[in-house]
Amino acid sequence: MSPGTQVFICSARIALRRVVLAASLAAFGAIVRSAAASGQTAFTLPAPPFQLPFLPSPLGNWTLTIGVGGEYGPDFEGANRNELSPVPIFSVHRAGAVEQFRGPRDGASISLIDFGDLQAGLAGKFISPRTASSSSELSGLGDVNAAFEVGGFIQYFPVDWFRLRNETRQGFGGHHGVVSDFSADFIVPVARGFTVSAGPRFTWESSNAVSPYFGIDAAQAAASGLSVFDAKGGPHAAGAGAQVTYRIDPHWEVHSYVEYERLLGDAANSPLVTVRGSANQTTVGVGASYSFDFKIR
Amino acid sequence: MFETSETKLRAVRYVGIISAVGDRMMVAKGGLTGLDNASRSFPIDSWGLDDLIVQRATATLNGRFQVQPVTYNRAAFAAVKDSVMTPVNLVRGDPFAKLLRTEVSPRGLDAYIVITKAKANIGGASGKIEGVGLITYATVVESYSRIFTLYEIRVIDGRTFDVIEKMAAAPLDDTAQVRLPGPSRPTDGSVSINTGDGRDESLRRAVIDLIVRSLPTTLNDMHLAPVR
Repeated sequence: MSPGTQVFICSARIALRRVVLAASLAAFGAIVRSAAASGQTAFTLPAPPFQLPFLPSPLGNWTLTIGVGGEYGPDFEGANRNELSPVPIFSVHRAGAVEQFRGPRDGASISLIDFGDLQAGLAGKFISPRTASSSSELSGLGDVNAAFEVGGFIQYFPVDWFRLRNETRQGFGGHHGVVSDFSADFIVPVARGFTVSAGPRFTWESSNAVSPYFGIDAAQAAASGLSVFDAKGGPHAAGAGAQVTYRIDPHWEVHSYVEYERLLGDAANSPLVTVRGSANQTTVGVGASYSFDFKIR
Repeated sequence: MFETSETKLRAVRYVGIISAVGDRMMVAKGGLTGLDNASRSFPIDSWGLDDLIVQRATATLNGRFQVQPVTYNRAAFAAVKDSVMTPVNLVRGDPFAKLLRTEVSPRGLDAYIVITKAKANIGGASGKIEGVGLITYATVVESYSRIFTLYEIRVIDGRTFDVIEKMAAAPLDDTAQVRLPGPSRPTDGSVSINTGDGRDESLRRAVIDLIVRSLPTTLNDMHLAPVR
């Protein structure tokens, strides 16, 4: 991400955010309708009353993107039942800035080293808590707290239409292991505003990352009826994903993706998966977003 | 430390204008490219873009400031590059403010308006584009091109060499299907993409049109133009 550009993308599964998003859409609706017609910035904000040293000036044109999507995926990792979750879309960036290709599985990231085709920097991901009461398959296994994974990423584009990426993150909270995600994506611009991408995925996890979700100790075994299982780390999942994005006009964009992975190693061998779940994990997502410009001067 | 740029600008009366945007034209490729997607460039000094920019900026700023003629080493201002270590660009001193100390005459004006190339990430392996240029995107079904003039304007205090304000020229509108983070427009049939020698009059006219349309707006957004 270049200096001066601020991008924040968040996703969550709580209904409250859906309500906030709906209210935001309604509030901005009246503003952007006139802006879309005129092709000008929707509104102008005054510059902040002071400027902090070392930070880029906020003056100029910015693009605000808001939207909503839905994701239909496993109830929990290893589950054989799926659930639908809302996914808010929100980003602010410099007007006209070309956003780098982003895969559905990518964590939030910011570049610290940028050669153009090779970038590296910080990456992070939020892992939702797993509560035993949310699913009958988890009965007796206890809760796993939410986890924050913090680490780094490196990605390389040998050509515009092919990306290699690795994120390696250390977990805090719900797990204290290391997770390393590898992905490759062929990115094919089919027509103006219409892009299709697809490629393989692979995940490696340490024992401390696997154990809280797939290990079963004696107490959990007694409470759940599953057999005791000591989950070790190693190759965790392999699969593939595909994504389609279509910019309908300068303001509206729709996207859809599907991600499939098959659990490997002790994640696949855990009784939670073999008895009550599935090693095949498929996630499907759709979304639509609206972008408009505003000015700070 | 927290003084606003507006407050600092109140004390400014005599300014000099420096422009180092128009020495070369970049020709870049994006999208479905071959393995060789490196950009190239050709000299366009003969177009006189920097003189035009100084002339237009002077016309816009007169009335609020007294613009003084300055001489400067344009090549030195045009050669400044960002560090690949992104945080370094945030914490190091402004490279153009440093150049003002040695490469501009006369010194001691209240402020200098420094207009230089802006850079934009176009994603993928093509990396960054900057300054004046033309980019061609290739897709499965079509190719299309845009002419761009990416530049940024700094107001630098002539005595302390602090950057009072900085802003990049914005896109001219938000109605284009494909955008760049600065003034740009699609090419029409009259513009030849492969000229490469800077003698294409239609290309020169298109670039000048972008500068003429965007410069007063940018200066106005920075509160540098006189209030009418």
